Amino acid sequence: MRETGIHQSASASAGELPGLGGAGGGAGRQNPRARSAGVWPKRMDTMLTIACRSAGAMILLMLVAPLAVLLWQAMPAVRAYGLSFLVSSQWRANEIEQPKRAADGSVLIVDGEVVMEIIEPVFGAAPVIYGTIVSSAIALVFAVPLSFGAALFIVRVAPRLKIGGVVSFIIEFLAAIPSLAYGIWGLFVLAPFLRDHIEPNLARLLGDVPFLKWLFVQQIQIGGSLVERTLPFTGRDMLCGGLILGIMILPIITAVSRDVLKNVPRAQIEGTLALGATWWQSCWEMLRYGRAGLFGAVTLGLARAAGETMAVTMVIGNSNQIVASPFAPAQTMASLLANEFAEAGSELHRASLLYVALILMVMSLVFNVIARRLVVGGSSKSAGAH
Amino acid sequence: MVARRENKLAKVRSGVMYVVCTVFTMFIIAILAAVTWYLVSIGTSSLSWVFFSQSPSGDVNHPGGMLHAIVGTLIMLAIAAAIGVPAGILSGVYLSEYSGDGKLLSAVRFTADVLTGLPSIVVGIVGYELLVRPAGNYSGYAGAIALAFIMIPIVARTTEEMLKLVPHSYREGSLGLGATKSQTIFRVVLPAATGSVVTGVMLALARVAGETAPLLFTALGSRLLTLNPNEPFPSLTLQIYAYATGPYPEQKKLAWAGMLVLIAMLFVLNLTIRFVTNRSIRQNVA
Repeated sequence: MRETGIHQSASASAGELPGLGGAGGGAGRQNPRARSAGVWPKRMDTMLTIACRSAGAMILLMLVAPLAVLLWQAMPAVRAYGLSFLVSSQWRANEIEQPKRAADGSVLIVDGEVVMEIIEPVFGAAPVIYGTIVSSAIALVFAVPLSFGAALFIVRVAPRLKIGGVVSFIIEFLAAIPSLAYGIWGLFVLAPFLRDHIEPNLARLLGDVPFLKWLFVQQIQIGGSLVERTLPFTGRDMLCGGLILGIMILPIITAVSRDVLKNVPRAQIEGTLALGATWWQSCWEMLRYGRAGLFGAVTLGLARAAGETMAVTMVIGNSNQIVASPFAPAQTMASLLANEFAEAGSELHRASLLYVALILMVMSLVFNVIARRLVVGGSSKSAGAH
Repeated sequence: MVARRENKLAKVRSGVMYVVCTVFTMFIIAILAAVTWYLVSIGTSSLSWVFFSQSPSGDVNHPGGMLHAIVGTLIMLAIAAAIGVPAGILSGVYLSEYSGDGKLLSAVRFTADVLTGLPSIVVGIVGYELLVRPAGNYSGYAGAIALAFIMIPIVARTTEEMLKLVPHSYREGSLGLGATKSQTIFRVVLPAATGSVVTGVMLALARVAGETAPLLFTALGSRLLTLNPNEPFPSLTLQIYAYATGPYPEQKKLAWAGMLVLIAMLFVLNLTIRFVTNRSIRQNVA
């Protein structure tokens, strides 16, 4: 919010100056020396104004054009499925040939030959929307407590130990590591670790608990009937994807909430301490005071998690099915695009992928808008309280 | 009595939460340590002169090096910077110096903010639809434009912030001496903020240097050393991704090494940014 403050004061004083706040071409118009200098003719002003305005217009275009292109190219899928695309749980890119069944489930045989039927490819986004939501939720559950704890540490503890700068630098460096590095680490270190150590032990511990059985089984269709089978642990599953996402959004949530907490007025903390509050009670007061900004920080993290591509693609297992267990492979919108876009054969397949891209883009825009409103609104409140 | 017991409880809870916050911070640092330790230990073991001097050999057991990918990444970054830096700085100048535009200006600022959060895979797909499909082939140019797309909003917003830090009296002084607006911007405002604008540009470069998703469907990647950006173009990140997800152990090792080299490059860039920032701050103080 400090930045908006600066902006407002800048524009206020700019308004008083002839030329600077205006269309840009007028400064020094009445000044003969500027004209006689002649090196920078007024045309230069006009050209700069045009260049700057077109750069600004280009930014607007950079948002509008992708939306338009995605909507235009996704039209075949939009026309074919409409909004039911969002809830349809089948994503099958290839047609399947299988024996036709009668109403009672038995295989139809005519003249001694099995009657075959061809099932057309279908596309529905529910599995990837589900995958995106669940993996982001796992990421938030993992990252939010850690980040808030670290932010409080940086604001309330580290300055006393004089290590605030170091801790901040480490966390910012975590943010500078490309997502591909987390992907490789997840694929070769975290996933095997989950597969060999965490998941089998969890299954041994919790496998016999009655209400937790869904964690370790999967229902698959064999023939006409649903069969339950134990999940093979691969490590490349929803849990691994969620954890990697969680690690990746740690820095941004920590950094933003650190800034929000730093903006809580000192009087607020000192007041609580003077009233005899413990360390945690005054921290809690800080968290409460900055709740809008903190919520914004979480939303920013969520937006990052939902749009993250490479690391997730490498560890989530890439299966377009909805399975309740977090130990089953899954797929997010972004990983689906990364996996299938290059190989999309049919027009409908491609259009459906672009439909998914459109949903992803709109979703991330909504998250970002909410987050910016909250972070800006939250810290403006605290700035105003100074 | 009750009050005192509650008081004691609050103190215990406070102590516990203090420890929890500390442990959480240590845990985050431990994660970073784990990631970097694996990168460095596995990466260095497969790093050799061959890595920097050879392109892929075609033999999966002796996969050669990543010279082609390093060259490809550098060329694409150069093209992306050539497009993204002027466009971004101009937008930043617009956001900072044309405050008379009111609502339109806020719309542009808001859009730039939102664009920095756009999923990079979406940028890749839009790049494919707008550049690759009409042109008929994957190309380094398409990849570079996709990277520039990501750079522009970042450069614009940081430039704006940095220009706003230039004291308003500088502008008033310049205008008062009879300079035109463009003279003021080019000779007073931008020079005063050069150091920090360069920082913003390098931050944006560091961000896109590690990007993979926007290149998947634009540059596509290649195993050949090429200097012609009008064909499928190699990139360090794409090559690392291809090797890491492929079946061959030697290539996987190479992926770790490539990642280490990429992160080392980013680290050097980050240190340079810090150096430049410090210097510009020192200049401002002087």
